[in-house]
Amino acid sequence: MALFGRHNVLLAMLLFAAVAPSLLNAYYVFVANTILIYVLLAIGLNILVGCAGQLAFANAAMFGIGAYGTGLLQVQLGWPFWLAFPSGAIIATTVGLALSLPALRLSGLYLALSTLAFAQFTQWVFLHWESVTFGAGGFKTPSISFAPLPVSKTLGLYYLSLLLVIILFFLAQNLMRSRIGRAFVAVRDGDIAAQSLGVDLLRYKALAFGISGFYAGIAGGLYSAMLNFVSPEGFDLFQMVIQKAMVVVGGLGSIAGSILGATALVSVLEALRAVKGFQEIVFGAILVSFIIFMPGGIIGFLKAKVRGWEEPLHRGPPGKRVPIATPSQSGEVRS
Amino acid sequence: MSDALLSVRGVSVTFGGVKVLNGVDLDVKPGEIRGLIGPNGAGKTTLLNVICGIHSPQQGDVLLDGVSIAGRKPSDIARLGLGRTFQTSQLFRGMSVLENLMTGRHHRTKAGLIAASLNLRSYREEEEQAEEAARRSLEFFGMSEFAERPGSALSFGQQRVIEIARTLIGDPKVVLLDEPAVGLSINRLAEFDALLRRIRDEKGVTLILIEHVIRLVMDVCDQVTVLSSGSRIAEGPPDLVRNDPAVIEAYIGKDLRARHSAS
Amino acid sequence: MTLLAYLLLSGLTTGALYALIALGIVVVNKATGVINFAHGELFMFSGFFAWMLHVQMGVPYLPALLLAVAFGFMLGVLIDLTAFRPLKNSDVISLVLATIGIAFMLRGTARVLWGGKSDYLPFPPITSPEPVMIGELMVIPQQLLVLAGAIVIMLVFAAFFRLTRAGKMMQATADNAKASTLVGIRVDRIYMLSFGTGAAIAAAAAVLMAPLTLLYPDMGFSFFIKGFAAAVLGGLTSLPGAVVGGVAIGVIEALAGGYLHSSFIEVSAFIVIMFVLIARPTGLFGPSGLRRV
Repeated sequence: MALFGRHNVLLAMLLFAAVAPSLLNAYYVFVANTILIYVLLAIGLNILVGCAGQLAFANAAMFGIGAYGTGLLQVQLGWPFWLAFPSGAIIATTVGLALSLPALRLSGLYLALSTLAFAQFTQWVFLHWESVTFGAGGFKTPSISFAPLPVSKTLGLYYLSLLLVIILFFLAQNLMRSRIGRAFVAVRDGDIAAQSLGVDLLRYKALAFGISGFYAGIAGGLYSAMLNFVSPEGFDLFQMVIQKAMVVVGGLGSIAGSILGATALVSVLEALRAVKGFQEIVFGAILVSFIIFMPGGIIGFLKAKVRGWEEPLHRGPPGKRVPIATPSQSGEVRS
Repeated sequence: MSDALLSVRGVSVTFGGVKVLNGVDLDVKPGEIRGLIGPNGAGKTTLLNVICGIHSPQQGDVLLDGVSIAGRKPSDIARLGLGRTFQTSQLFRGMSVLENLMTGRHHRTKAGLIAASLNLRSYREEEEQAEEAARRSLEFFGMSEFAERPGSALSFGQQRVIEIARTLIGDPKVVLLDEPAVGLSINRLAEFDALLRRIRDEKGVTLILIEHVIRLVMDVCDQVTVLSSGSRIAEGPPDLVRNDPAVIEAYIGKDLRARHSAS
Repeated sequence: MTLLAYLLLSGLTTGALYALIALGIVVVNKATGVINFAHGELFMFSGFFAWMLHVQMGVPYLPALLLAVAFGFMLGVLIDLTAFRPLKNSDVISLVLATIGIAFMLRGTARVLWGGKSDYLPFPPITSPEPVMIGELMVIPQQLLVLAGAIVIMLVFAAFFRLTRAGKMMQATADNAKASTLVGIRVDRIYMLSFGTGAAIAAAAAVLMAPLTLLYPDMGFSFFIKGFAAAVLGGLTSLPGAVVGGVAIGVIEALAGGYLHSSFIEVSAFIVIMFVLIARPTGLFGPSGLRRV
């Protein structure tokens, strides 16, 4: 097994994450928890945009729907967190599935625009449907307790997030290595040919949208619990751009890359927390630079230079593999 | 004809006011290699598109093994046993050659979301079988060394072969090939000819091919159908068709035909 | 009746602005096939630049307008050189994300240079703020100025495209880039010209609009999305379509805001987009798309 390959690096990150709360103060545990939440968002978004090639801009909206769903079910209907949390995720998933319908007729730019419009519409609902969503000021969510386990809310939520990240990471990785993952890539790389091989476009686009909705919904629920507060602010366009940037920086189409991208960018965001203007400039610059100079993202770089970072789309026994081109790298066709 | 495997009945297609196909009939018997030729704009690709479900005909029907398929979704038609290759390369660039072929087994496998993400045994077994089938296919085409190459690293000719392999691996009854010989040099034509025959003989697949390389059509096809301006103007064994005056006229025009018959 | 007339005039005025923004988007898209997601920020940044000239440095309005338009043109060229050229052959996702990245860089820069999240800069009106009466209608002269200015700008650009050589070359490139190269048109230059022109139109719109509303760094996106909606409504490659689309959205917004609820102003554009894209993705004047395989 390659020393600095994907397996070992991710394992090391996992071990660090597992002991982090004992090494970091409360504020940095909060940052680490934020990273975990963004890892989920990045994985879901990458499956939709990177693997299935759907240029959708609604992830931040689904993140918000998950957060609002979880929060409001607790606050307005008095549900306990353990019921509201999965329910919020289900609501976000359903919305994601609904978004796959326009995705059947539209692609590329038109899909981007319609999902963008939907996201703005969602923001508007969060802001103006005050009787339900409490409007611009947002609302507090009840503090959850992990009784009977003897852990504080901060710690409990952190390990819950970590556990969910581990589970959902493996699910995503298994998925991409199966006929479903290959169907996604087929839809991305040649949807007409994909259909001629029996890939039902509606089903697979819906699946991709639904999955990204689910991951975003889970992330949203965790987020609402972490902050104990939900407001429209956290789910706007800048949010969407951050998530896109994570996916690009990590590597479009790479599940492992989503982890790297999310970690890197949340850290940068943290470092620049003081001045919003600078955050925007740096983010924009990172996004543009990666697209022009490193379109394969960090993963693309690692796949080319370091052994052990391949991410095949099938399960077979590991053999000698040549790195697969990620969507933005142009391949050479020699004749 | 009741013994036809693929039957096109009176198919008409209109795009934006232009009648692209005009009451076309076609019957292909099992095990046949049928050529589909005609001048540019005759509607050949449109006909293939109708058969495989990309377009719905305004009139008429298509029957595959007795089942009506006109207007159905392309993925459903594929499941019923119809394969197709395209004029432009549709190899999946983000996958290896092996994975491209495994994708060809998509509609013959059925592991769902749960089985795949939880790594259940049913799914693992299916994957092994699909990989096996893909490797066997590479052997059949003599391209085993390309298994792990990215789809984008193949030459044009190699891509076309893999695309044909990818279609065949799903065990279709009928395969539509849209200009499969494009870009092949003269020396390679005989090889390709033999490959098509092998595919028909060893895999029992019925082939319909659109081709402009007349030599290939004449050598390998059992029957040839000629389209011109959306209508079928001739059909029969290659030699008969090649000398049919209507066909000659369609290709080279009335005046030249007059000169040809005069000389 | 007066309410309706008032709403229509208001809608017409904002519609004219949206039309200008849509025009800028369509000019670039027609020539290059790309939607510049930074278009709104070009609008915003040029507006701030004009503010800096006129309000901070005391440059009179008309020269400030012209300088801002020139500045906008240069920003457009900059985007061509930094984002479009290196990515010309990449896929849609890359181009879109790259222009979004630039949009954020511009937004952040404007925020750093000219104001934080809640600073709204006022731009002094050109005419007196006293409303005048036209028939039964009470009208602010600045609105008429905006409307007139927008019409003038549209006519100028229409003339540019039809009558000047550069304009014709842009049309040719839009129709068929390869053929244009063959007849000796420097396609790269045309792309640059297109980006610059699109941005210049946005800058003109910004300076026209500035006296009517306040300037703030986040305004770029909301105008962009409305301009984009207008462009899509009109069919992304139709210049007259962009104008019709812009006016339509302006009027729909005004009517929704007046008759339904003011909060609907924000969202009507999005609802329109969603409907148009589902019903007729190529817009009112766009080509009906056929996919060739």
